[in-house]
Amino acid sequence: MNCTRRNFLIGGSTTLFLSGYFPKISFASMQKKNLIIISLRGGMDGLTAVPVIGDKRLKKLRKKLILEDVLNLNSDFGLHPKLEIFHKLWQKNQAAFVHATNIPYTGRSHFDGQNLMETGAHIPYKEKTGWLGRGLLASNIIGKGLAISLPMPLLLRGVPQNNNFFPSPDFVETKLIDQIYNEFKGEHNELIKSTLNTIRQRPLSMQIATDSDDRKKLALEAAKQLKDQSGPRVAVFDLDGFDTHAAQGGVDGAHADELEEVNKIVTILYENLGQAFDNTLILTLTEFGRTIKQNGGYGTEHGYGSAILMAGGLLKKSQVYTDWPGLKKKELFEGRDLNSTVDSRAVYNSAMSICFNQDPEFLRKEVFWGDELPDLSQELFKI
Amino acid sequence: MSLKFYRRVAFGLSPNDKPDKDPFNWALNQLDTIPNLLWPGIIPTEKELRKKYGEWVYGDREVLRKKFKNDKHAYKKAKDELRIKTGERYFELNEHAIRHYQTKYSKQPVFERFWLFWGNHFAISEKDFLAEFSTGPYQREIIRPNMVKTFEEMVQSVTTSWCMIHHLDNSESFGPNSKKGMEWRETINENHARELLELHTVSPNAGYTQDDVIQLAYIMTGWAHKWDRKNLETGDIWFDQEMHQKGDKIVLGVKYKNDAKRELAKVIHDLATHPICIKFVSTKLCRHFITDEPTEDIIYPVIEAWNKSNGSLIEIHKAVITQAYKHNENTHKFHPPEIWLMQLSRMFDLNIPLSSEKMNYSFSSKPNRRQRQLSWILREIGHSPYRAKQPNGWSDFEVDWVSPELLLRRFWFSSVELPILVKSGNRSHDFILACLKNNFEDHENMASLIENFRFGTLDYDLGQKYGVICNLPGVLKV
Repeated sequence: MNCTRRNFLIGGSTTLFLSGYFPKISFASMQKKNLIIISLRGGMDGLTAVPVIGDKRLKKLRKKLILEDVLNLNSDFGLHPKLEIFHKLWQKNQAAFVHATNIPYTGRSHFDGQNLMETGAHIPYKEKTGWLGRGLLASNIIGKGLAISLPMPLLLRGVPQNNNFFPSPDFVETKLIDQIYNEFKGEHNELIKSTLNTIRQRPLSMQIATDSDDRKKLALEAAKQLKDQSGPRVAVFDLDGFDTHAAQGGVDGAHADELEEVNKIVTILYENLGQAFDNTLILTLTEFGRTIKQNGGYGTEHGYGSAILMAGGLLKKSQVYTDWPGLKKKELFEGRDLNSTVDSRAVYNSAMSICFNQDPEFLRKEVFWGDELPDLSQELFKI
Repeated sequence: MSLKFYRRVAFGLSPNDKPDKDPFNWALNQLDTIPNLLWPGIIPTEKELRKKYGEWVYGDREVLRKKFKNDKHAYKKAKDELRIKTGERYFELNEHAIRHYQTKYSKQPVFERFWLFWGNHFAISEKDFLAEFSTGPYQREIIRPNMVKTFEEMVQSVTTSWCMIHHLDNSESFGPNSKKGMEWRETINENHARELLELHTVSPNAGYTQDDVIQLAYIMTGWAHKWDRKNLETGDIWFDQEMHQKGDKIVLGVKYKNDAKRELAKVIHDLATHPICIKFVSTKLCRHFITDEPTEDIIYPVIEAWNKSNGSLIEIHKAVITQAYKHNENTHKFHPPEIWLMQLSRMFDLNIPLSSEKMNYSFSSKPNRRQRQLSWILREIGHSPYRAKQPNGWSDFEVDWVSPELLLRRFWFSSVELPILVKSGNRSHDFILACLKNNFEDHENMASLIENFRFGTLDYDLGQKYGVICNLPGVLKV
């Protein structure tokens, strides 16, 4: 492990702001750009997904969790073998990772953490809208959010007319909706009426019944929608089950099963977005990472720093972007967790600025209350 | 007075219920006593179910995880067997049956609506195995008996209940200067203290600071479950002096002298009688029954009743009903999926829940499809009551319940699933017309919308009728 602390976070990032930000109006920016967020609930273990290579301390603390057949990324980091699609895209400069990163939350509660990863705030339950919803609103992109879940996720709230897709177990005849649509009159029925309208305007393929437990079908439909030039620009997937307190395992354990789900979604998106994949960014989101040390059940506990998995044609290059804090006891957060050296909200803010053709400085103020979030667009994305 | 009052404060009228001559007093008279639970099947105690919870977590964590360390598949198989043996997949289904049976047949349906309200105000969200074993009995044994006492007494009971303490991690909160805190270098977990302020009593409107949260957490240290090797975290709640932070504490400017376990009752008294708490909870009550954004003049009489009665929940409930009655015609309120389902079940006498005999469970095989049906429906319409995602419970705002898919789920349920739940004697068109007449002033207009299907009695035909009826604006809302 010869990865050392790099001080790129000082300077660099501000130069773009100082030199003034002029969004390029070119053909490329006319093309619809897609931003896809996959929420990994339960606390994704960055060190399982993107393990650091040859760290003796990690080997010692995680005897039963060490991966055998790590895919090679670079001299410092490997990739979990279940994340094959990321490895394939890595060769084409279409996969990258941010490591030792997290939202600025150290409380280790799932509920608070998940609330904060969606609101982007500092105090749990204080904000009622999500950073993605606010970003869309600030960019005046209305009715272009698609959630692959039953309720509208907090992450997307704050902008009206979003759609969601999570079909019921059986077919609903559209004529039923048409039949009663006109019964909704008066101001107090406006919200339901406009939502019924969103339903009526859904493309035929979204009117099918399917098994909502079948994530493959859902991802396929999402890809189809995102590919459409007039379709949604933002999609949100929800996965849970990352809270592996036991039998986390290495290549085949419980955490691997969840990573396999991420891999499936990204594979389907990649294979079905076609050309649109070049104008797409896929980013993961989680509430915290997990402890360095395995516990008595060969699992891990709630921790702090994690990783963001990224894919898509809008990435600058294949890289593990990190200000690596090290894994020595004194380098760990409270002596037990991987530290976070990159506020992951900076990554999301920069990603929104790319996908929504918006000044990152403007978004930072509109979405994140002007919090100190360096612009990472130049480092991470094609601008 | 329009018939919608029966759905605003209760679940509508069943084919056997007749409209009362004096609906206002009909509602008021339901609040003085606690109706018995009517479910004829098993109603296990909180303690019995906690024991089952203990068997499940001990078996999984202490036995199976160690035995099958290196074999994911064998572990999964053994775990599934343990689920069956401990009822891990069963008790929640039974709790849903108890709850829905109550709202369907209770002679005090207005009381039951308040029961649902308080259970959600002091919500237990989806965490560990609480929904499987504990949230149901918590609703029955902690929330329900307190509904004829004061709000303060309710907060006391809730705050020291096993379910809430486990839910919000108070057993993991150590006073840093307590004996155990010093020995084990442990400190507080603020979770429960924060929610006691934010969600259960004064709300952020009180302007408390992080320091107030910490000080309250200090007061709460020591209230924990008894831990032992066999029962793990499922032991009874007690006050462990060795975890309790020593010294005086100050919360919202009030000083609480070092007084061990007595500190908690004192601070709860002050929080539960705080004017901002009274306003916050009164507003929530009005929001639940009257309108998403209740005005000052709607809320004020509730606050007044609260102050006059020193927080008697009976009097507070009566004030809410008075306001709901007064504003019945000029306000609208959207109902979340579970209440909508309960109302359909009562108004059209649907075949849910399953009979108590059929709900019996042998602890030898998985619950069957029919036993899972009601819980499955609740999940599919997006409102599994004991699985709120966050400790703030289910939302009372329409905006949170109106997404394209959540509305489509209601269309799906009423046009596809509901016909299967219509009793064989109730399949005629006249039955539907009678139920509509019983519950809606504009029943003639509603009937005209399904006139085309009047001769059909197949599931498909019933689906066409109920699909329309159940999703009309006057049914989704009052």
